[in-house]
Amino acid sequence: MDWECCWDRDVIEMGDCPNIHEGDEDLLASRRRRILEKCSDCEKFRRDLGRFNDSGHPLASVLDLVHGEYQRQRNQIHSLVSFLDNKTIEIRFMHELGVVLQSSVDLEEVLSVALTAITAGKGFGMNRAFLLLADREAGLLKGYLAIGPRNLEEASQTWNEILSNDMDLKTLAQNFRLNKLSTERAKFHDILEQLKVPLSHHEHIAIKALDSKHPLLIEDAFHHPDVDPNFAAQLGVDTFLLMPLISRNRRVGLIIADNCITHRSITDEDMHSLETFSFPVAFAIERASLYDKLQIELSRATEAGKKLKEQQELIVRMESMALVGRITSSIAHSVRNPLMIIGGFARSILKNTPSSDPKRDFIESIVSETQQLEGVLDEILNYSDSLYPTRDFWDVTQLIETALRDTADVLMMRGYASGYSPEHDLPAVYIDFKQISYCLRTVLQSDIDGMGDDRTIAVSSYRNGESVVIRIEDRSRTLSQAELDHILVPFSETRDLGAGLGLALCKTILEKQGIPFEARAGTEAGVIYTITLPTHKEEQQ
Amino acid sequence: MSRLLVVDDEANIRLLYSEELADEGYEVVTAGSIVEATEKLQLGTFDLAVLDIKLKNESGIELLQQLVKEHHDLPVILCSAFSCYKDDFSSWLADGYVVKSGDLTELKHEIARVLAKKAQKANAGL
Repeated sequence: MDWECCWDRDVIEMGDCPNIHEGDEDLLASRRRRILEKCSDCEKFRRDLGRFNDSGHPLASVLDLVHGEYQRQRNQIHSLVSFLDNKTIEIRFMHELGVVLQSSVDLEEVLSVALTAITAGKGFGMNRAFLLLADREAGLLKGYLAIGPRNLEEASQTWNEILSNDMDLKTLAQNFRLNKLSTERAKFHDILEQLKVPLSHHEHIAIKALDSKHPLLIEDAFHHPDVDPNFAAQLGVDTFLLMPLISRNRRVGLIIADNCITHRSITDEDMHSLETFSFPVAFAIERASLYDKLQIELSRATEAGKKLKEQQELIVRMESMALVGRITSSIAHSVRNPLMIIGGFARSILKNTPSSDPKRDFIESIVSETQQLEGVLDEILNYSDSLYPTRDFWDVTQLIETALRDTADVLMMRGYASGYSPEHDLPAVYIDFKQISYCLRTVLQSDIDGMGDDRTIAVSSYRNGESVVIRIEDRSRTLSQAELDHILVPFSETRDLGAGLGLALCKTILEKQGIPFEARAGTEAGVIYTITLPTHKEEQQ
Repeated sequence: MSRLLVVDDEANIRLLYSEELADEGYEVVTAGSIVEATEKLQLGTFDLAVLDIKLKNESGIELLQQLVKEHHDLPVILCSAFSCYKDDFSSWLADGYVVKSGDLTELKHEIARVLAKKAQKANAGL
């Protein structure tokens, strides 16, 4: 029998077998491999087999049977290999996805990765995906993010871009997050805004998918008995996949994916792969959300800890201040009474001592020295009071008028005239009334010895931004700025200038409360004091 | 002649007040404690009381409250080593407040002012 095929030859030449091409040269001298790999698909071999069948040889039918079975099994193996190859790719992808998801606790990043994975060609290759998240507080399943082209032109552009830049999933997702997240959000804003379903609406197809915890493929959505036509209209496609995101039995959200551009059908295989993908995504989303909440709680706890520390420090400070307060109070009582008695009796004796009495000078010294000591005591006590500022909102006019009334006698005795001109509708100031009153009284009386003829003190108040300024112009004094600055330094020698510790203490007290105090020498004569009082609580330290 | 009750735990202060206020033409009765002041108040009538706030282990504020309750016509001037009481609500029941000083001018002014006010009220029949 003449055979068409080369199966009976040990060695053949290139061109003898129609299935052997360049690169298959090693098969030319290997008959066994040639038969197993090439003959089965060869037309010449099939014709040789037909002739053998026609010969009526008893083995011919057996050989035909074996050949048929060989072909069937070979196809099956090819199919399995192809399946395994796909699964290998899928597992690799899932591994890459898992690595990316596991390494992030940033919700935006997780969502970017998830949606990129669904739509990327190397991922699940869906055209478009919407992510809805469950808002348990609002009781809603709400559209949060979407990805995908809105038309074929945009789709082509995006896919070409992806093809030309062979990026891994992480890079793709980072690229999406950095460059496209906000634009995609804006692009799908209208649809996302409409995608709101109450979690209690168990008849809604989205909630049904969530409740079932399994993916649902919706086909012919516009006529589907379970699909609200509005929902289908919002998505604008008749075939889509609903993929619930469930983590620890909790409804985290839902992914809606479709092929709105290519209209490629969604297979069972797609659904199965996406279902596998949904578990790590749901877990990562929940973890990222919990991490967000944890961060908020952590910052609250840190803030509370900080406040607690401040409170502790305040308590310690208050305790030490209370000690200072008790000590000064004790000094006040122990020192003031003897001073008062010495000074009082000295005055009493002085009253009844004739001016010719040589001892009168001594008594006058006692009177003046005790008077000065009483002044020092007042200043110390006022400073100790300043350690406990008790602030509240006060009327500035009331504050100034009270101080002027309290000092009226002293000023009158010294031949001073005072006047006050307030600006109308001044806001209340947030101050410790007692301490600011003390400072005002001290400033008003600070002019111990007037040097000029013009013995007037003009007080005014006016608004300056969020503050109220008290301006006290003492026209009698003529001091240089250097002398004034010297006076404002506590415990500097100021006796020769005629001022005590008062002004320096005032400055210290006011500055401790964050209230600016300035003393400025007038251009020609006089001194101008300004006290800038806050009108809000925040302005003070 | 106006009759004043001076309450202070310091004997020398009581003496000083007695001397100085007597020179001003007042009849001065002194007490060193709340108990003594209460006894004196029961024995006679006064036109004004000058109270120290810190009376050894007692408080002049307590005496002030007692006077307001039981002798509401009797004006009171608080006299203390501490200026801080001036802003204390509890001291606002008093008709006047003076920080203790060897110079009694302010106290004398305050006594004259309060007595004048009392007289004015009496004349008005209030």
